Amino acid sequence: MIKSMFRLGITLALFASGACVALAVVYNITGPVIKTQEERALTAALKDIFPESDGFSDITKELQSSDPRIQILKAYAMTKGGSLIGVAVKASGPSYSSNAILLSGIKVDGTIKQVRVLKISDTPGLGANAANPGYFVDKAKKVTFTGQFEGKKVTDPFKVKEDVQAITASTITSRSLSAIVKASADAASAYISQKGGAK
Amino acid sequence: MKRSTAVFLQGLVIENPLAIIMIGLCSALAVTTSVANGIGMSLAMTFVIVASEFIISLFRKLIPESVRIPIFIIIIAAFTTMVDLVMKAYFPDLSQAMGVFIPLIVVNCIIMGRVEAFASKETVPHAVLDALGMGLGYTWVLVGMSVVRELLGNGTILGIQILPESFQPILFFVLPPGGFLVFSLFISLNLFLKKKWLESPLGCPDPEGGN
Repeated sequence: MIKSMFRLGITLALFASGACVALAVVYNITGPVIKTQEERALTAALKDIFPESDGFSDITKELQSSDPRIQILKAYAMTKGGSLIGVAVKASGPSYSSNAILLSGIKVDGTIKQVRVLKISDTPGLGANAANPGYFVDKAKKVTFTGQFEGKKVTDPFKVKEDVQAITASTITSRSLSAIVKASADAASAYISQKGGAK
Repeated sequence: MKRSTAVFLQGLVIENPLAIIMIGLCSALAVTTSVANGIGMSLAMTFVIVASEFIISLFRKLIPESVRIPIFIIIIAAFTTMVDLVMKAYFPDLSQAMGVFIPLIVVNCIIMGRVEAFASKETVPHAVLDALGMGLGYTWVLVGMSVVRELLGNGTILGIQILPESFQPILFFVLPPGGFLVFSLFISLNLFLKKKWLESPLGCPDPEGGN
């Protein structure tokens, strides 16, 4: 009885270690690629939001989220020739199926420059359309869900069906994403006014 | 017909994992909202089933009866994690679009079912042929469904506008109820093909399997 238990245990352990070795190999090959992919995506996203900037610095510790459910993961002060031109905030908050991560750019004049979806795992074809560049909430004007935030004032209400157009059949996603943008914008504008950047 | 050919063809229509055995439906209905997702999911799933059936058939004499299920799960989970990592590294967009459904291949009943019912008892070549047949059977239904759903629900295929701009997309097809409707149409199509297949002398009138 004990003998057979040992035998089974050892067999199981052997298969598990075999699987571990195989996974370790694959992880070691793909790990660095995944990391550079993520870094490249971040720098590209920052450059994309503030193309005129020539430098950025990490200011994550100086920002505080106004909403307890929303976490500010990273924040960058975007500069041009040494002076502040805006703030980019990477924030995570609960969405329909799990947390979504957005990158929002806020200009020193208190308007939203651009919003990008970095991670969303909501229903493909519905909530996930928030990140789809071919999905328009305003078909006539070809405005995407995140596109509609461009130029919005930080002080706007950011309420779905009032000043934010929802993604069809995805009200929860639309609401959560708007809340993340709002929290990011609040935190960024607090930083901007503290630095006396607003002209 | 040789046994190996029969084993391979089995999964395409006669024992199609989705349309006849009807297992692994959850992810099949969820990802078929766009063709890119359908193709990605089919490839990932086919890779995992072929690799798992191969390894399990290879070691079938070393796997003790009483702990076979944990061992199957370890092997399937290892291959699924590999697919997930490779997709994250080389196809980040697709990986993002598929979200949680790639890790969930681990619990996909098709793989567990074929491994338990077939690979654990058969020789390696037969197990691999069975896996390929099942994988292809899964693929044609999944890709077919996603073509119908994306075309009618969004007017596009692979993100390229096919129907004229004036066509108002029928959102119903992208939503879950549309998924069930399209799936039921594919079940009927498959049953029709199965009937034709069994009536024909070769048992194979259309090698494409209605692709």
